[in-house]
Amino acid sequence: MKNFVLGFTVAILILPIGCLAYFAIGFSQTRADTKPSALETSILQSAVRASVRRAAASVPNPPPANDDDLVAGGKLYVAGCQGCHGKLGQSYREDHELFPPAPQLPHTGTQYSEPELYWIVKHGIRMTGMSAYGPFYSEKELWSLAAFLRRINNLSPGMIENIRPNKSG
Amino acid sequence: MKKVAAGFFAGSIVLVIGALVYLNLGLLDVRSDAPVPDTTARLLYSGIHASVRRSAPKAQNPLPRNDETLIAGGRLYLNDCVGCHGEPGKPPSDFGATFYPPAPQFPRARTKYSEAEVFWVAKHGVRRTGMAAQGSTYSDLQLWSLATFIGHLPNLPPLVLEGIQQHPAK
Repeated sequence: MKNFVLGFTVAILILPIGCLAYFAIGFSQTRADTKPSALETSILQSAVRASVRRAAASVPNPPPANDDDLVAGGKLYVAGCQGCHGKLGQSYREDHELFPPAPQLPHTGTQYSEPELYWIVKHGIRMTGMSAYGPFYSEKELWSLAAFLRRINNLSPGMIENIRPNKSG
Repeated sequence: MKKVAAGFFAGSIVLVIGALVYLNLGLLDVRSDAPVPDTTARLLYSGIHASVRRSAPKAQNPLPRNDETLIAGGRLYLNDCVGCHGEPGKPPSDFGATFYPPAPQFPRARTKYSEAEVFWVAKHGVRRTGMAAQGSTYSDLQLWSLATFIGHLPNLPPLVLEGIQQHPAK
């Protein structure tokens, strides 16, 4: 029993120290122009989902959005988000510049609810390219953006036309 | 000895499972709009620097260190970097501060990275930060001019500052 406890303690101590040493020596890869592994993606994506779900649980449900809100949110998207998250009505283009890559929302849509989207845009996601937009948008703008994002892969052509009146895809 | 090994094995499993449970319960805070704790920052930054030092090219900067190079790099910087990293002579970028970790403000704090390291970071980006890889946007020579410029911040020759401002980015 004593030996078991010894081995157990050594493992608990050595593994974190080993990890720190690995990073400190510079063995970890920092370049962003490669793809994260499937394992890394699945572990971290579910961690982010779980954390956002927990944090956004206290966010009240939004007032129901009307078409004007969606257009307003869409215009915010075009002005502030599409550079990383993909242009409306354009063919799919994988992100090879950020790591993890920015989700191409017009194609993938999102699994997050409106309160969760509101929370993410407002507070950002740590250790990704997603910064916090709380300082730059009003509450109303954040909610219109959330409503738009919720429906982003499911917009009528007329809606896209209203968002980008001078461009045809 | 067998029992030590069994204990070691059990300890390893417990750590990994514990970490996964922690993550899946959503206990890891993911918001960007919080300051990076000092210890975390120290670990992160030294880990990144160590990795970059290991990966950056051993090659020397192929460009002459003259005003022309600095102005070329400076225009590129004004074009594409100031949004997050701050503009010379202006207050620090509010936008850069909303990332976690925040974008370093080169016009205020001299970088600890060598020119070759800055070149490498600009070309390939930094994983798990907002720093995107610029290698598909700019040529190597453009990135070397940018690295020269960033290496000279925050103390630019006045002629260079003027040169950048006279021909603002398109």
